[in-house]
Amino acid sequence: MTSPFTPLLESLTRQRGVRASLIVSESDGLVVDANLRFGQDGERVAALAASMYRKARLSATAAHLGAVAFLQLDAERGRICAVGGRGELVIVVVADPAANVGLIRVELLKALETLA
Amino acid sequence: MSDDIRRWSDELARDPSSLVFLQLSEALRRQGQVEMALKIALRGLERHQRNADAHDLVARIAVDRRDFQRAFDEWETVLRLAPQHVGAMKGLGYVSFQQGRFDDAEKYLAKAAAGGAGAAVTNALETVRRSSGSFGEASLPAEENGSAPSTGSRGADLNDLFADLLLDDGQTALLLDASGYVMAGVYLDGDARDVSQDVGAQLSGISEEVRRSTRHLDIGAWKSITFETHAAVVAMAPSADDTLVVVAASRATPLGLLRRLLDRCAERAGDWLAHGGGGRQ
Repeated sequence: MTSPFTPLLESLTRQRGVRASLIVSESDGLVVDANLRFGQDGERVAALAASMYRKARLSATAAHLGAVAFLQLDAERGRICAVGGRGELVIVVVADPAANVGLIRVELLKALETLA
Repeated sequence: MSDDIRRWSDELARDPSSLVFLQLSEALRRQGQVEMALKIALRGLERHQRNADAHDLVARIAVDRRDFQRAFDEWETVLRLAPQHVGAMKGLGYVSFQQGRFDDAEKYLAKAAAGGAGAAVTNALETVRRSSGSFGEASLPAEENGSAPSTGSRGADLNDLFADLLLDDGQTALLLDASGYVMAGVYLDGDARDVSQDVGAQLSGISEEVRRSTRHLDIGAWKSITFETHAAVVAMAPSADDTLVVVAASRATPLGLLRRLLDRCAERAGDWLAHGGGGRQ
């Protein structure tokens, strides 16, 4: 099934090291669209990534740092990158620890412009 | 979680006097829906005015809304209803600290520690004592011979723990304990006001969410989180003893540079803690 977001997600998932790309609703963590590798639990990723992004956004606002544009979480076996701030939608990428985050960030910000 | 919220909402709609409002309001608060959480908590409190947990909940929501006076009043009510309520003692300690009343903060946190509140409160108490300058000589760690920053002696300026690592005035670094209290470092805003406590408390909340996410996604322990905001770039990393290193810099700072700064500050924090910083033996 294709959606208006399919080309955007395919472009992200083509990046080396990217395991999954999703568009999620920040307020409730529901998947809007996703491009996943076999075995990836999109709903779980969406819910947790949205929750984390929202927490970062609320905390940054409360600390008078302004809106969160780009977020990157590094863990032992993976990394999660997310961009938002244009309406309700957050674009999330799950990647390998060795993935080139600089390139992923550039692609995410380009994708965010497309969403706007 | 949303299933639980729905279930609790239905139960509360069926029976407005049900105590399920406590769980519902708490769940909404954790989701960031603070105003809705407050509305439900206050409605519940109207029916259960002598319920200490209800007042405790309203106090915690008040802290989320930065209404420290309301939080203080509610926690005082909790202690009138339940004099041994450790959560209220911790909360009063936190609010007193926020308001610069270090003696009161020490008094409340000491009571909480005596009530078995755990290591986080003990660390917070040490932080308060350091801030108020009431740390006793005997409890300070011995200074190592040049192998660690000289922050182990009375009068040492903990604000400067990271000062030599920062490259310009726009950069700042903090070491926070598990409760979000500042242990070292300083965060100055654009008007040169010390907003370390406020910023530290707000940002430390992210680490709990991050821990939860990495656990459920099975991607291993988290190593760092970095985010760009309109005003700054911020990076955080866990450190020893459940502490958190936070660095922030102007928006123009390259993320790679920020990450290097974070690594250096985390290393400094680890050395400081290992050599007795924070009151460890």
